[in-house]
This record gives sequence, C-alpha cells and structure tokens, in this order.
Amino acid sequence: MTLRDWVPIFALLVPGLGLILVLIGSVVYVAVAQSFGYYALLGQSAFSLEFWSDVFDRKLFSRAVRYSIYVGFWSAVLSVALAYPLAIWLRKPFPGSIGLGALLKAPLLVHGLVAAFLYINVISYNGLLNQFMQGIGIWSEPRRLQNDPNAFGVLLLQVWKNMPFALLLLTGAVQSISDDILDASRDLGAGPWARFCKIIAPLSISGMQAAMVIIFIGALADFTFQTTVGPTNRQSMAQLMVSFKSRGDWHSAAVVGVSLMTIALLGSALLAFTSRVIMRGGLR
Amino acid sequence: MAAIGIRGLSKSFDGFQALSEFSLEVNQGEFLTLLGPSGCGKTTLLKIISGFLEPSTGTITIGGEDVTHVPPERRDTALCFQSYALFPHLTVLQNLEFGLKQKRVSRDQREVRISEVAAKLELETQLEKLPNQLSGGQQQRVSLGRALVMRPSVILFDEPLSNLDAKLRDQVRVEISRIQRDYSLTAIYVTHDQSEALAMSDRIVVLNGGKIVQVDTPEDLYSKPRTPFVADFIGGANLISGRVSSQTEKGPIIIETSMGPIKTSHLVKDNVDNVELSWRPERAKIGEGPHCGTIVHRAFQGQFTDLILEQNDIIFRIRTNNDKLRVGEVINFSLSPDDVVVLEVDK
Repeated sequence: MTLRDWVPIFALLVPGLGLILVLIGSVVYVAVAQSFGYYALLGQSAFSLEFWSDVFDRKLFSRAVRYSIYVGFWSAVLSVALAYPLAIWLRKPFPGSIGLGALLKAPLLVHGLVAAFLYINVISYNGLLNQFMQGIGIWSEPRRLQNDPNAFGVLLLQVWKNMPFALLLLTGAVQSISDDILDASRDLGAGPWARFCKIIAPLSISGMQAAMVIIFIGALADFTFQTTVGPTNRQSMAQLMVSFKSRGDWHSAAVVGVSLMTIALLGSALLAFTSRVIMRGGLR
Repeated sequence: MAAIGIRGLSKSFDGFQALSEFSLEVNQGEFLTLLGPSGCGKTTLLKIISGFLEPSTGTITIGGEDVTHVPPERRDTALCFQSYALFPHLTVLQNLEFGLKQKRVSRDQREVRISEVAAKLELETQLEKLPNQLSGGQQQRVSLGRALVMRPSVILFDEPLSNLDAKLRDQVRVEISRIQRDYSLTAIYVTHDQSEALAMSDRIVVLNGGKIVQVDTPEDLYSKPRTPFVADFIGGANLISGRVSSQTEKGPIIIETSMGPIKTSHLVKDNVDNVELSWRPERAKIGEGPHCGTIVHRAFQGQFTDLILEQNDIIFRIRTNNDKLRVGEVINFSLSPDDVVVLEVDK
C-alpha cells in the first residue's frame, strides 16, 4: 500500500484509536515516568529507582497488595458464582422474568458510595440489623459489625454492586446456547450438574471471563467501599496511593499506581486463563 | 410385546390441543414415520416419547415399562435432532463418548463402541475435528453416531435431513435406513417430507390436527388413501366429488362427476350417494379415453412432465413421459377403475 492509501485509513482511525491512545497512553506514561522520578512536582526531576525500592520495602505496601488481590479475587468469584444460577434461571422467559431481571440489575443504577452508606445504615451499631436481631431476641445487645477485619462488608458490597453486571454478561452468554444442545446433553444422560459443568460453563466461558476480569480490576482498585466499610487496620492499594498523594509524595503514589495497573493486567490474565482451564476440562 | 406403546395420549398447551387421544404401538425393529404438515403434533409426540414433554393424559411404555413420567436422562431412547445439536466445544470423539461417560460405560467398552460406530459411519478420520470443521452430512453422521453408541431401545429422529441439500439428503436417507436395519433398531422418524417417509418407513402414521388420520405401509398409504387429506398430502392426488350412478355386484361402480362418469372398482358403502374420489396423476393413460382436458400449464421435470389440465372449470394434474405436449392442446385420457379410490369424508 502507498502512503496515499494509508492516509484515509489513518484519518478514520484517529477519532477512535487516537483518543484512546492519547487518554490512556498519556496517563500511563506520566504514572510510569513519575514512578521513576520524572515530572516531579516538588524538587528535581531525574531518573531514580529509589521510589520503587522504598515502596517495595514497606510492609504496608505488601499488605495492601495482598488485601487488594483478596478483595478483587473474591469479589469476582462470588459475583460470577451468584450470577450463574440466576442467568440459567432467567435464560427462558417466564411470567415476570423481565421485571425480575430488571430488579436484579437495579444495583447498577445505584452509585457505590450511596450503596455503602445504605449498608452502614443496616449494619451500624444502632443500625437496622442490630435492632432487628435484638427485636426478635436472638442478640441481647448490639454487636459491632462495621469495618470487620475480614472485609466481609466490602465483599458484600462488591458482590451486591457487581453481580448484576456479571448477570448481564452471563445471561447473554447462556441465552446463546441453543435449547437443542441442552436437550441433547439431557437426552444423553447428563443431569443438571453435568449439564452445567460440561455444556453451559464451557459454552458461556467468554461471558464469564469478561465478567471476572472486569469485576476483578474494579474491585482490586476499590477505594469507595474500603474507606466507608472496610477494615480500619488495612489499606487497599487505592487507599495507599491516595495517602501517599495526600502527603505530597507523588512518586511513591505513582509506584503504587503502576503496581496496581500491573497487578490488574497480570491478575486478570491469570484469572481468565485459570477459569478457561477449569471450565474447559477441569470441572468434573 | 411392542417396543413402544402409546395409549390415550393427549397434550395441550394453554388451551391449544396439540395431540388428542393418541394411541399407537410400535413393533420391535420397526421403522415408523410420523408424517404430517407443520403444527400437526408430530414433534410434540416425539418430545413426549423422548421425555422432554409430559403428556396431559395417557401413558407411554418402552419395552413394557411405563416411562410416562421418567425424565429424558433416564430413558432408554436417543434423539437425533434436526439441528444435529452437536456440542460445538467438543471434538467428534468427545461428542461420541459424551453419553457413554454419563452412563459410566467403562473405557474399554467406550473404545469398542465408538470405533465400531465410527467405522460404520466413516468417521474414523474425523474424530479429532470440531463440529464446525465438518460438512453438513458429516455432522449428521456424528449426530447419528452419538445416538447409536448408546445402543438405545428406541432411536428417534426429528426431521434429521431438513438441513441438508437434496443430493446429500438422498445419501443420508439411505445410510439411516441401512444402519437401522443393521442394528435392528426400533426407530421413530418425524418428517413433513412425504417422499422421505415413503422411501424409508415400514409403516407411516399420517397426522393432522393432533390426530391419527391413517396408519399404513407406504405402498398402501399411496395406493389406498382413506381420506382426501391423505390422498392430497401423499403424492398430491386428484380429488373430485361425485354421485353414485350405478353399483352392481359385478363390474365397476359408476360415479357421475363434473368430469363425466368415472368408473371405480372400489366399493362404496351402502346408502352413500355422494362420494369423494381420488386418482394419482401418473395413473392416467393419455391417448384414447372417455376423459379429456385442455393443457393450461406444463412443467418439464426431467424424468416426467407435469401437466395441469382444465375441463368444465375442474383443474386436475396428469404426469406423463410424453414431453411433446404443449399448453393449449386438448388431450384424451383414461383411468383404470382399480386406480380410482373412493375416500371417506374427512371428519
């Protein structure tokens, strides 16, 4: 192809690809550059590995990495695990299924921060749950449920918020499996579990992978739920990054940011690969 | 004992009666075809036999055992789907062994059964391929093989040739018949294609509106249709109403029609004056004869020519080997009394 042929192709790509490259590329570039000492807002800009070694030496960082991976992984797994049976149930329309599907997807319309505050209303020391449990006589006094050390509250909110998204992707994937395929497996002796493991899961794997990856990345970088209902003795990576930034330490914040992006990339690839291996052959 | 016994079966969907009071026995090793137009209830019946639908009333027995409420995964039947329904993510080999694994057949037995069926269906070189790498005919053979390895008491076919082109359809039709004979399988075959039904079946059940219209061998169904629906649906017979003019114990009965008097050697019930007659287009002998008509349309079909004739505003069809006849010509023809069938009036 000549340059004359390339020009219109390039011109057509610019509005889409160009925008993506500029918006994402510039941010990634600045973050990476800043983590190596460039673009200093205070002091001298020069190449340095000091910030990387400094952040990596901190116990706080390794704990934040482990904690964020924990939240990301379990949010993705639990959301998908909960969405699968619902997607299979809603696969065939029945009276009320459209309304039910819409209701299940309602959390997509509620902002995470609003959800977190609503959740606090439920589980706080004087919240609805404590009042209810005392009211029916199961608990004699209120219990401290907020900011639990295992981050169950964060996981609950992540699942509440992300399950509808997983449901959206999985419903499409499960609906694309023809009735004949499922009937054929049944005709050949496959019960409900065998049908799920050997037919439904492998054939809806692309939807499942997409849900896992997107939820994992979102939950890995969670800030809102962590700061409102998360444990007080641990920080997520996003929280750590913000705390560095608040202290004016932009280079260390950039190190955490680049680490977050790298973990998101590697973690989602690993999650997608593992789920493919399990779904394609491992589930028995 | 019949391989399959269906007694008093009815099925309705939200007020629509898909099948009503359906009773039938299928013999061991028999190839039985359910034939009828779309919506006549044949696929519903097949789904009830395979267990995907439960009847509203009635019972089904397979090998003497009542299976009316047994789910499909525990029935000794195998269904070949119209869409083949091959598992797209599994290879041909994995498709073939899917059912055997579900039934916990030992590895040795699996290998024996699969290699036997793969050889029979000429699939040995395709075993490692995915379904989307196969042609339509090959996919159909895999679907058939997947059913055959199960060695079911009954094999069910739901319009299995409808997605194949005409040439391939003929090939696969022969293969299915051969395999059914080789394995002595009891087969129930659903189709709306009368030529398929005539070519393959031991017996044909003609269905209309959820009811059995006629059950007969292909030969009898073709030559002795009982109702105008069967006569028209199988082979497209000419139908004409008439009035009994004379009926004697010796000699043919004469029916007065708008085509003139037509002789039939088939008996008319006592006290019946008005009758419906049927005769096959290819039975008319062109040349000398008492009947005549003007050719209004001609369709050359290769081995024969279809002629549409008109006489006294009556349209009828004749099939001939004479390809010299042209539109506008008036021709005479005769009908043998044996070829003119007296029909029961459709209820």
